[in-house]
Amino acid sequence: MTDDRIARVLLKQEIEEFLYREADLLDERRYDEWLALLAEDARYWMPMRRNVKVDDREREFTREGRDISWFDEGKETLTRRVRQIQTGIHWAEEPVSRISHLLSNIQLLEVNPSPAEPAEVSVRCRFLVYRNRVETETDFLVGKREDLLRRIDGHWRIARRKILLDQNVLLSKNLTFFF
Amino acid sequence: MATTRIQGYRPGLVDVATGQISREIFVNDEIYQDELERVFARAWLFVGHESQIPSPGDFFVSSMGEESVILCRDRVGKVHVFLNSCRHRGMKVCRYDEGNAAVLTCPYHGWSYSTDGRLVGVPYFREAYHSTLDRSAWGLVEVAQLCLYKSSVWATWDPAAPPFLEYLGDFLPYIDLTLDAWDGSDGGTEILCGIQKWRVPCNWKFPAENFSGDSYHNISHRSVDLVGIGPSGSGRRDMPELNMARKLHIAFPERGHQTTSYLLPKEAAPPPAYQHSSVVSDYFRECEEARRKKQGDWGRMIALVGEVFPNTAFLARQPRTLAAWHPRGAHETEIWRCFLVDKSAPAEVKDFLRDYYIRYSGPGGMTEQDDMENWNYAHAASRGTIARRYPYSYEQGMGTAVDNYEWEGFRVPGTVCDLTQAKSSEHNLRNLYRRWAEFMEAESWDELTIWRRQRQAEAAE
Amino acid sequence: MSEPVNIRQIAPGTKIALVDGALAEVVSNPADGVWVFARYLSSPGDPSRVGGEEMIFAQDIVEIRE
Repeated sequence: MTDDRIARVLLKQEIEEFLYREADLLDERRYDEWLALLAEDARYWMPMRRNVKVDDREREFTREGRDISWFDEGKETLTRRVRQIQTGIHWAEEPVSRISHLLSNIQLLEVNPSPAEPAEVSVRCRFLVYRNRVETETDFLVGKREDLLRRIDGHWRIARRKILLDQNVLLSKNLTFFF
Repeated sequence: MATTRIQGYRPGLVDVATGQISREIFVNDEIYQDELERVFARAWLFVGHESQIPSPGDFFVSSMGEESVILCRDRVGKVHVFLNSCRHRGMKVCRYDEGNAAVLTCPYHGWSYSTDGRLVGVPYFREAYHSTLDRSAWGLVEVAQLCLYKSSVWATWDPAAPPFLEYLGDFLPYIDLTLDAWDGSDGGTEILCGIQKWRVPCNWKFPAENFSGDSYHNISHRSVDLVGIGPSGSGRRDMPELNMARKLHIAFPERGHQTTSYLLPKEAAPPPAYQHSSVVSDYFRECEEARRKKQGDWGRMIALVGEVFPNTAFLARQPRTLAAWHPRGAHETEIWRCFLVDKSAPAEVKDFLRDYYIRYSGPGGMTEQDDMENWNYAHAASRGTIARRYPYSYEQGMGTAVDNYEWEGFRVPGTVCDLTQAKSSEHNLRNLYRRWAEFMEAESWDELTIWRRQRQAEAAE
Repeated sequence: MSEPVNIRQIAPGTKIALVDGALAEVVSNPADGVWVFARYLSSPGDPSRVGGEEMIFAQDIVEIRE
């Protein structure tokens, strides 16, 4: 293999490990460590999805920064969400949920400037977020995620997360957790 | 409690005289079936907003009770609401959430309807029907009455229901506090694109009661109050003017509508709010001043939450939303929430509000999440055989409401319970269920238009 | 039996041959895949239809002629 291809394989492995580690932090409720993985200017966006005619496909997703979405926010609001869970009296997450993030179909979409010297990586995956709460409350949330990861001071940080949930009417009563 | 043919909702199940209401009305499947007929098939229901269907052919699929309806604007611009079910074999004619269409065509056998509801396309009309099918008799089922009020769209299936404005009565100006622009301009609002729709496992009356003015449940929002999501970064809301206002429960006993609103003092400049950005804080300050100037004493009124009987709620300011509690069986509710901004507001103001709305309301909303947890498990824990034997308590503030409430020269319409000292009451909640019980008992709208009978009696005297 | 045609995207001005031998020109297309609005150019079975505009059912369209 050429050096460039080897670099790409190694990079993909590194990114996968980063994403799996991140999922562990969430599933182990190590929220402060998770927040530390977010770039200061991180954006976190989860549009709503509409049933539209085949010719109107561009209107399937609500638009970032213009329409109402399930989430459309930055690190400040995400931090407040974590703090709310940590109060111990956020009743929608107390008792806390049991959550597992399953990630698959991981693909590097874009690497800048190069796999050998990566500064920014755009990566796509599928997610299955399983949530079980209290006694029998169970949610399966499946969809696609597109992350922009940025290397800051030698560490990967999440600069942008786009979450495309495969649901129309949300079948969960709340979204008190992170994708 | 026996569930066979319920006799006497008021003394048996809804006893507002003692402030006790049976859990049966929330968890009983038979009562729920009656409710669909007696409440949802008769009352005025919120369907949508004209800003969702600006052009001819535009449609938005909405819901009335359990049923899907199509809100659409026909080729000449007239607004209609149709049952979303083909007259031939019942197939859902439109399975898109929104769009634009020249005709609405059923995918099953191909019956096709114009946007004014007429049946215009019947496959093999000549061959199979020998051109004898009376197409004029088989148009889409249309609501009995429709009302466009300040761009909001309301409909009822009952031709005998009073017109919408009469149905609202003196509650009307309170919903203006959500539908008018912040500066008081008539209907100067629009809906932000994107309607949140989600399912909550509870009876629809839990959210209806909450938005009628449950002034007692603040404690359940303590976590969000602690972390702060308000427009200026702390608390849930940013309304310092409320500290100098009278906090009021305002109810309309004949109609079942109610609101928690605040009456500001006669002479008081609005204190600073929305301090994160000068564009936003200037906008709201100027709007507030303009509204006070335009509306005089009424401009002192600030609505917090309210409920139009039976299942439409508003939050008037922070955030500004309209919600419908669509029943999906006795034990599940589909919430549809839309968010309003001033049409003419600067982009920065709209952006600011949108961010705030999303972090406040809906399934991702840091406030509403805790509400839904309460509704979910209040419902679940009330379903048991033993649990059903014990009524809920609605005894707060009984006997304290007055119907000639006045403060600093302004007489407030409605029966009013002043919560400024009392902190909380259940006046509005009793009002909701009193009206609900009347709907469940009444055989006709003649019995429900209590105000007409009173007017007739007065005229006779 | 001719091959089924997808009429969803046929443009106004397109000529369509119908199962009864008539020829029509598409006036507008609601893009529902079931109907088009068309004007009869010829109709051997019922000449009175010529010049008239009707909704034409997809299963009655046997061929698209440019």
